[in-house]
Amino acid sequence: MKTLRAYLSTLLIAALVITSLPVAAAPVSPQSMDLVSTQSVLVSDRAGSDRERINEILARADVQEQLIKQGVDLDEVDARVAALSDVEAQQMAQQLEQLPAGAGGGVIGALFAVFIILLITDILGLTDVYPFTR
Amino acid sequence: MKTLLSNARFAGVFVFALLLSACAQSPVLLDSTYESLTPQIENREVPFFAQSEYQCGPATLAMVLNYQGVDTSVDELIPQVFLPGRDGSVQPEMLATVRRHHQLAYPIRGTMDALLGHLEAGDPVVVMQNLSLPIYPMWHYAVAIGFDLPEETIVLRSGERKRHTLSFSRFDATWARSDRWGFIVANPGTLPEGITARNAVEAISAYEEAHGPKEALTSWQALVEHYPGDPLGQFALGNALYADGQPEKAIAAFETATQHDAYMGAAWLNLGILRLQQNKPEEARNALMQAASIEGSWQQRAQALLNDV
Repeated sequence: MKTLRAYLSTLLIAALVITSLPVAAAPVSPQSMDLVSTQSVLVSDRAGSDRERINEILARADVQEQLIKQGVDLDEVDARVAALSDVEAQQMAQQLEQLPAGAGGGVIGALFAVFIILLITDILGLTDVYPFTR
Repeated sequence: MKTLLSNARFAGVFVFALLLSACAQSPVLLDSTYESLTPQIENREVPFFAQSEYQCGPATLAMVLNYQGVDTSVDELIPQVFLPGRDGSVQPEMLATVRRHHQLAYPIRGTMDALLGHLEAGDPVVVMQNLSLPIYPMWHYAVAIGFDLPEETIVLRSGERKRHTLSFSRFDATWARSDRWGFIVANPGTLPEGITARNAVEAISAYEEAHGPKEALTSWQALVEHYPGDPLGQFALGNALYADGQPEKAIAAFETATQHDAYMGAAWLNLGILRLQQNKPEEARNALMQAASIEGSWQQRAQALLNDV
């Protein structure tokens, strides 16, 4: 997988460099009449440039891999990756392990000490774990 | 020895209690919030979907999406947002799933004052909480629907409880652990009261990435109506108008953008390109010269086009 990524990134870098060459090197040529997009302005607000674009494309491949690893249904993986904005895709790729996952399932199998601490903090109004404290 | 041990234990408990009381301050609401808000409010129209197991993400989304008129169920949302490997749902996918259902997800400002303001306006807010302590987190999503100001309580649709009432201080303690993260779901073309311009731009831009500028047009219009002086909003509106085949109005929007931010090179460049398309080289040259004189990623293209004129 690592080697695949390495190939993919070299390929992407090459492709982006080649496609950006005509714009940079040939000032007198039929100019593109595409408008500057809102998203590219927002991106350049944050960081910008081709490196960012490479990261974005790699991020999506990364997220796809991770979602499969996390047990997401294969039929759903593509749609879920596509639904993410570029910023979200990067966030997922870089820190999916650290992102808090809202579950609200309750403290099952907690240590007795943890149970006691949370009981106290519940009574003190700092946490909201056990409904019977109120 | 025994007394020493019990003294030490007493000291430990004392220090622990001190630490806890130090962070058990009730949240400070601004005086203006107390004065301006209605004492009690609760949006009973928000439907309730109980969560099963770890499905609070899908359950909260089902509540706010159905409230907006989207016909969906917890069972349909589980494969779209739940991460089996994490036994939960993560924030970016919560927002992305809202957009999959052709709704906008506007992040709110993370303060109690802002939250109560949204509730008073009748907008249910999805909030992320850590019900437990940071060392033993229990992340949770719920939908805030109302409050009682004299009682200092907030009302949530949460977990298996249709109406969970808890004090401002307890709620804020759990909410603060997610850096007070929350969002409002809204129909395209609407902008809930109290959303900042920057948050709105991010939300609509993400929607545009998923569904294209034509579908985002009405939302940009709503944004500009609220914040006519926001250059980024005007710029985005210009792009959406152009995509919708309204170049004249697009030009007006880009011009407004440059009036509010004379250093917005991208707006000058787009203005120049549209003038070129209209065969107005003189006006195009003015705009392109502005773009070429401002440092940024647009500079090179502006200079190249300028050489052609």
